[in-house]
Amino acid sequence: MKHEAPNIDWAGLSPVIALLGGAIVVLLAGLLRSRLVRERAVPFLAIVAFGASLGLGIWQWGEDAQVFIAKGSQATLAFDELTLMVTFIVAVAGIATVLLSWRALAPREAAHGEFYALLLTSAAGMVAMAGAQNLVTLFLGLELLSVPLYVLCATEMRRERSLESGLKYLIIGSTGSAVFLYGLALIYGATGGTDLREIATGAAGEAGGDVLLLTGIGLTIVGLGFKASVAPFHQWTPDGYEGAPTPVTAFMAVATKAAAFGAMLRLLDVGLIDAQPDWAPLLAILATITIVVGNVGALGQSSLKRLLAWSSVAQAGYLLAGVVVASSLGVSATVFYLAVYTMMNLAAFAVIVARERETPWGDDIASVAGIGVSRPALAWPLTISMLSLAGLPATAGFIGKFYLIDAAVDGGYTWLGIVIVIGSMISLAYYLRVVAAMWMRAEVAAVSATAQPRLAGADPEAERPQWELYLVAIAAGAATIFFGVIPSPLFDLATAAGRSLGLL
Amino acid sequence: MNINWYLAVSALVFCIGAAGVLVRRNPLVILLCLELMLNAANLALIAFSRMHGNGDGQVFAVIVMVVAACEVCIGLGIVVAMYRRRLPIDVDEMRELHG
Repeated sequence: MKHEAPNIDWAGLSPVIALLGGAIVVLLAGLLRSRLVRERAVPFLAIVAFGASLGLGIWQWGEDAQVFIAKGSQATLAFDELTLMVTFIVAVAGIATVLLSWRALAPREAAHGEFYALLLTSAAGMVAMAGAQNLVTLFLGLELLSVPLYVLCATEMRRERSLESGLKYLIIGSTGSAVFLYGLALIYGATGGTDLREIATGAAGEAGGDVLLLTGIGLTIVGLGFKASVAPFHQWTPDGYEGAPTPVTAFMAVATKAAAFGAMLRLLDVGLIDAQPDWAPLLAILATITIVVGNVGALGQSSLKRLLAWSSVAQAGYLLAGVVVASSLGVSATVFYLAVYTMMNLAAFAVIVARERETPWGDDIASVAGIGVSRPALAWPLTISMLSLAGLPATAGFIGKFYLIDAAVDGGYTWLGIVIVIGSMISLAYYLRVVAAMWMRAEVAAVSATAQPRLAGADPEAERPQWELYLVAIAAGAATIFFGVIPSPLFDLATAAGRSLGLL
Repeated sequence: MNINWYLAVSALVFCIGAAGVLVRRNPLVILLCLELMLNAANLALIAFSRMHGNGDGQVFAVIVMVVAACEVCIGLGIVVAMYRRRLPIDVDEMRELHG
């Protein structure tokens, strides 16, 4: 038997090549001895790599590149509009993360080259996962995104909490991967193919009746639920978010979610579309549980990172509504909300990083008390972000939720739309608490014994607020308002992504 | 031989692994149990590959082995870092983050 090399579309693959090539360049540049190179040039190169990926993605927009076509089978990676939207989200989140971690402790502890190389590798895994049209590629993408993130969580090696969050995330994340893999194995067994189109053909005849296929779908959804922090598989989220270095948390929160939902949309809406009557009710119930658990869990939190972790669980529930309906409108709504969610969260995390460096309160809510008076340039982005996460009109979060509810109602899940509205109402309680702390409470001045001591070796320069944090906070906040008032540019991109899966 | 036997063994191994992750307290043993879960999936993949008569499952299984090795490396690395900081190597003792 003669084997031919698969046909590789290098132009189509270029967004991933930029990320992986960037990782290698950054890793090598990190070996140079000069402090200036390590601390200035390495982050700059990482930003260039993310920017190149973004630019190449824009160049490939509309090309619908199919990469790695072996003879007689489908492409294993598709760079259609859905993948490219995830690429844009990941690249924007990556640029913001590099800016946030530029003068942070984590890259100093872990060596600059390695830190940014891991970030770029993880981003490449996210793009591969969102574009995977084959179960093998899907699993590889999932692991390529997860394994660097486990390390990144544990990078502040002298801080006990960072190590603990890394180990917890590793154990729970790997359990999720193992469950996911077992699900994939059962789907392969039931349909006889690893390609999503083959699976769709194999599943068409026996939808509903095959125990093997149904168990496989269930386990796969559980595995992806771990990554997207869907309740009841969310327990790692608050601990992981709180313990990880804050810039890494920002990246984990937005980019992982985009990749997990991109993969979920493609797997369920292309490969398992004929089994939709079986998995849609299951997902709808999971969405309801997630919305309730996330919003109720966030109510009692005093740490801002934990609050955002629980809020991210709730947001995952809203996003699931777009997956449940399996329509082109649902895909567009999910992609739109993922993009919006990225902006809102980046604004919030940039402010948290800034206040962590300025105050001894770490990420406690006390660290933002009274900043409406003392630091309005930080208070406004955080206010916009909180109001947008709660879904108030004139913010992008409102448009995103409106779009998701529209998709749910259109797909015959009106009750899920009502659950989203009720969830948003509960969420106002904790989002407004942060806003009230910023504008109505006095700044907490005294250094108390409970405040976290600063680690030895931290850069004294890092205690002052820095322009790059303001840049990220204000740019993300402004984008949240901009797309809340004029959503049409993002709307067009999301609609194109919605059409790319070939659904009704 | 009937494929059901292979699947039964694979499901059993998977359940032993999952139970181990839930009840054991030593991170090293938990990593071993994770390996069991991944290898149960490998067994299922190879059995199905034989059943369908195509090589996809075997390729998948080889790739899973590589990935499993990477995961364990990271896990062991973190355990060593904790050991150097004289932290207890016991997941029940990890209470710095809670809620």
